[in-house]
Amino acid sequence: MSTNHIVENLKKEIENFSAQIKVEKVGKVLELFDGIAKVSGLSDIKSSEMVTFPNGEMGVALNLEEDAVGIIIFGDFSKIREGDEVKATGKILEVPVSDSILGRVVNAIGVPIDGKGAIKATKSYPIEKVAPGVVTRQSVDQPVVTGIKVIDAIIPVGRGQRELIIGDRQTGKTAIAIDAILNQKGQKMICVYVSIGQKDSKLRKLQARLEAGGAMEYTVIVSAGASEAAALSYVAPYTGVAIAEYFMDQGKDVLIIYDDLSKHAVAYREISLLLRRPPGREAYPGDVFYLHSRLLERACRRNEKYGGGSITAFPIVETQAGDVSAYIPTNVISITDGQIFLETDLFYKGIRPAVNVGLSVSRVGSSAQIKAMKKVAGTLKLDLAQFRELEAFAQFGSDLDDATKRQLERGKRAVEVLKQLQYAPIKIENQVVTLYALTKGYMDDVAIDKIKEFEQQLNEYAEHNAKVFYKEVAEKKMWSEKGEEELKKVIEDFKKNFS
Amino acid sequence: MATLSNNNIALAIYLSSKDKSEQEQALFFKKIAQFLSRKRLLLQAPDILSRLDKIINEADGRIVVKLSSKEHLGEDTKKEIANILKERYAAQKIVFMESLNEKLLGGFKIEVRDEVIDLTVKNKIRKLQEYLTSSL
Repeated sequence: MSTNHIVENLKKEIENFSAQIKVEKVGKVLELFDGIAKVSGLSDIKSSEMVTFPNGEMGVALNLEEDAVGIIIFGDFSKIREGDEVKATGKILEVPVSDSILGRVVNAIGVPIDGKGAIKATKSYPIEKVAPGVVTRQSVDQPVVTGIKVIDAIIPVGRGQRELIIGDRQTGKTAIAIDAILNQKGQKMICVYVSIGQKDSKLRKLQARLEAGGAMEYTVIVSAGASEAAALSYVAPYTGVAIAEYFMDQGKDVLIIYDDLSKHAVAYREISLLLRRPPGREAYPGDVFYLHSRLLERACRRNEKYGGGSITAFPIVETQAGDVSAYIPTNVISITDGQIFLETDLFYKGIRPAVNVGLSVSRVGSSAQIKAMKKVAGTLKLDLAQFRELEAFAQFGSDLDDATKRQLERGKRAVEVLKQLQYAPIKIENQVVTLYALTKGYMDDVAIDKIKEFEQQLNEYAEHNAKVFYKEVAEKKMWSEKGEEELKKVIEDFKKNFS
Repeated sequence: MATLSNNNIALAIYLSSKDKSEQEQALFFKKIAQFLSRKRLLLQAPDILSRLDKIINEADGRIVVKLSSKEHLGEDTKKEIANILKERYAAQKIVFMESLNEKLLGGFKIEVRDEVIDLTVKNKIRKLQEYLTSSL
């Protein structure tokens, strides 16, 4: 582009520009502490309205008092001084959204932080919005296939559901979420991963993992790092859900992961205490339940009349020493439609994912489970529960009858089958074949240490030789008699050659 | 327990003092000072006084306007501004507090309560900068 052309363009832009005269509402900084500013003036300001500081930093009005306004500051507050002018923008906090946000990493206010340049936004979505009403909703009946056998078989999740992932530190909570994202490839699902108060190194690793798995094409990462202001951690999940709503409004299905809401509650507690709101249980403010309920209520499945689309939420909560009766875990358990409970003991026993099947539950997901999976996994949860009971009982007695022995052996194989490597989601047809082989007793005579090998080879063999069965499960979500006969034959043939 | 805001105190001072004679007022203000001291509110006194000032101005239909410009404005301009502000704020009297600021480059800036009407050249350039960078 020539210099003349640039100058011409600039002239044209300047000619087009007309500065509108408008009355601006301003205030003055009275006090400033730890990311919170008390500002005088700013009459008529709305709650959650954006304000700007002289150095360009943004803030949001949170406390509207008689004499002053409590403002949370996003970003560096060290340059703000007492007496600085604060301008109200008249806009409720919103986040820029567009289709080109896919594959990007943005901060809690939607600014890209991945060094790939600006995102051309087509729209802005308010981060605080009232959840869709009952008239616009539809019950959950479409599955979210996570690719994790124990979840898809025993704790199925449906599109529009809110399923909590709960457990102690280092039990594989994030791993489940990443596996679920990786498995959405080709399943017409947009994923939003909201990282709240996590280490930047962890986020970088996660991003690299998603990129390697080709999952960033349909994923957006919203990050509020551990080193950033608590205000950013507070708004990050709302930004995430606003981005998810943008895609849902286009009739798309979205999976959103909040990693994690314990840190979100801690950030909100910090802000609330600094704003001098009265502390309640565990020093959390009184509205900490509403903080999460209004966020998770925005996950829903819309009916066709309202454009379809859904938001499935996987909030993550970290417990301390397995205590699910703490304040935040009990709150989020009561809000969600079920929970996947991960246990440290199981994790160290080598049962990974370390899902405690007894404590985990999906309240609405079973109606979304495909028929074929329902058929093979229908009694799995009960069988596993009986196995755990018998296992405990068998430790005391030596003489066991044949039926009990059989049940114990079957249980051991079921536990082995449900183990799964990280970042290795399994497609639903293969899951059905494996569980079919397990529940029909085809694995009863396979040594426990050979189960994984058996499963892997069976899946490869069946994929090539039981085409009718695979096609039926993929398309009709259930097999016919013909398909079942084919699968039975294929398993028997495979077993003859399996050593 | 409800807290007493500075605004509440200023309003109470105004309502209690407005119908009092000069002699009564002298005694009254002494008592106010004692009250502020007893309640450890003397540090808040400047804020209370500025609020009291606002309340009195409002009650009298008087508006204090901060007018900043690069150079002194002409009487006609000020008259025109006063007429516009009288209409906008339904005020009877406009009191200008003028100040000169070279950094404004030109034009003027009006500040009334917590509202600002910025008609300075500096502001126009800033807005042009915003416009040009946003259209990139």
